Amino acid sequence: MPEVSDLEILPVPQARAGEAGAWDALFRRFQLPLYAYVFELVRDEQAGLDIVQETFIAATKYIGGLREDGKFGSWLFGIAHQKVVQHWRKRKEVLYDEVPEPEDGFEDGPDELLIRREQELVFMNLVAQLQPPQRAVVLLYFLEEFSLEEIARVTETNIGTVKSRLHYAKKLLRKLLEAKNENAA
Amino acid sequence: MKTPREILLERHRAAVPQLDAIRREILDAKFRRRNLVATLWGELILPSRRVWSGLAAAWLLILVVNFAERDPAPAGKLSAAPAMISLGEQQRLLNEYFADRTPAADADREKTFSPKPRTEKF
Repeated sequence: MPEVSDLEILPVPQARAGEAGAWDALFRRFQLPLYAYVFELVRDEQAGLDIVQETFIAATKYIGGLREDGKFGSWLFGIAHQKVVQHWRKRKEVLYDEVPEPEDGFEDGPDELLIRREQELVFMNLVAQLQPPQRAVVLLYFLEEFSLEEIARVTETNIGTVKSRLHYAKKLLRKLLEAKNENAA
Repeated sequence: MKTPREILLERHRAAVPQLDAIRREILDAKFRRRNLVATLWGELILPSRRVWSGLAAAWLLILVVNFAERDPAPAGKLSAAPAMISLGEQQRLLNEYFADRTPAADADREKTFSPKPRTEKF
């Protein structure tokens, strides 16, 4: 299955030129995934909406700093991620609790994992249980199918760290889903 | 069966009206003022830009001529006072002059001449 970002031609040059319609299209495209990402990290509806708003305002302001139009999505999520980190700092929440994991391969795509209706809650609970840094990586991977390089840029970490976090999260998810299946059987 | 993406987006779909409102608010704030200027420029100025340029040039010319021909304001104001003084002085002199020509006691009495016959000499 082709990746989400591969199918799209976003009106970034038009937005850069100041066309209101282009900005509207871009915001429409990203508002829900961006909110889902932010909400799952801050766990607060109002804070989530505020961060999305601040992210959009910053995007219209600093679009000149975007080097590659094709990277608009990861650039936008990068702004949102910075605002999430600021939110955590304000709340004095623990940002990073590193757990060393082996850097195993992580070849299968986000859509390889299909979840049954009765497992949806398990999946969401698992996402909620992950450490924030792992949760961020998993969300970016599942929501926008960003490459490891893009996720590393958004979360300001290196690719090796992204790989290991993703590996850990996906392994845990599979394990939980399999356990649920066995219990159901 | 759903993908994780579908599950995540579905879970937050209730926030879409609020996100729509935020989007509209940001776009309105950013582009409202700009739209007004762009509309005025595009619909009022650009179609008849030669006329507007001509009018602007004419007004500029009028202003330049007006400034060039105008006397310095302070000098004009100051010159009014001496003129008034001068007028007053002239009035006074005229009054004096005419006052001196008022008839004196017998000085200007017209002498009547009555010719006498020549023959009386002889």
